[in-house]
Amino acid sequence: MSRSGISRTVIAIYLLTVTGTAIWLSAIFLAPVLAGRGSAGAARLIYAAFSPICHQVPGRCFIFHGHPLAVCIRCVGIYMGFAAGLVLYPFVRGVSKLELPSARVFLLLTLPMAIDGAAGILGIWPSPILVRFVTGAVWGTVLPFFLLTGLADLFLARRRKVAQTLENIRANNVE
Amino acid sequence: MDKQKPEYLRPALIAGAIAGLLSGLPIISVGNCVCCLWIVGGAAMAAKLLAKNTSGILTSGDGAIVGALTGIVGAVVHMLIAIPLRPSNIELGRRMFDWLSSLGLDMPSNMDGLLDGSSGFLSPGLFLLGLFVSAAVYAIMGVLGGIIGVSIFGRKKPQASPPAAPLPPPPGPGDAT
Repeated sequence: MSRSGISRTVIAIYLLTVTGTAIWLSAIFLAPVLAGRGSAGAARLIYAAFSPICHQVPGRCFIFHGHPLAVCIRCVGIYMGFAAGLVLYPFVRGVSKLELPSARVFLLLTLPMAIDGAAGILGIWPSPILVRFVTGAVWGTVLPFFLLTGLADLFLARRRKVAQTLENIRANNVE
Repeated sequence: MDKQKPEYLRPALIAGAIAGLLSGLPIISVGNCVCCLWIVGGAAMAAKLLAKNTSGILTSGDGAIVGALTGIVGAVVHMLIAIPLRPSNIELGRRMFDWLSSLGLDMPSNMDGLLDGSSGFLSPGLFLLGLFVSAAVYAIMGVLGGIIGVSIFGRKKPQASPPAAPLPPPPGPGDAT
């Protein structure tokens, strides 16, 4: 696969991911706005949509327009860190690299959140708001570097397979 | 040499069922509050199982596929387990709110009402919405876990050895003198 082919695939996946992330973050902030404007039904729908993936304890959520966000502080940190990672991605990795970053980097950047989360669950320390947000954001920032690379590799493999199949069909027809 | 096509479904079913079970059980499910531990970890395990059963080298794309399948299976198992365990989870939620209140965190005054309301019948529409969202998020987390799993457990490509230095030419007949 040519370098330009790889770049086009990475850029397409990048743009799709940016769009999805924007919609996701918008929904998180939309829920309290709708609740504040009296659209309780619509707000409840968004809160319900996020409920399987977050405890949504109001005391652990940022307050926006007088109502809690649809996910907790740590989750907001993760998603905003993910968005920040997306912004950094083209500058740090470029759009033609398919090698995965080192797993050690992922494990290292997971450690602060894992320690903070485990300590909070075990009641060792109450985990301040800023710590939860920052540790979540740090973890979220590294995620796009694995996710985009893996997805690009997947789609390129599929394209290569389709191209090979078409080539075989053409060769068979020539014979 | 043709790469053997990986069999994604079996590792995904095994790891996804375990991840979904852990995500749905009371108390144990809080592991997901730590980096979606059960889902990411389950997908990484699926990648390990896939690497074990596949000859050749796995790509990050293989990890993405098996991870996504693991996440979806995990979401389905989680939601199915959550139905009979809802009363236990609600009671646990009530105790958690009491504990958070004891730490001085402000809880909404209508918290009891919210918990009582959620202990009622869960409409099929909300159930399906929850299933769809959790499947989407778990699939994405699973993709991530699968890619990380391949990075850790997948066989690495052998390092290309540097080209051997050219051997000196054999001495010719005139070189002996």
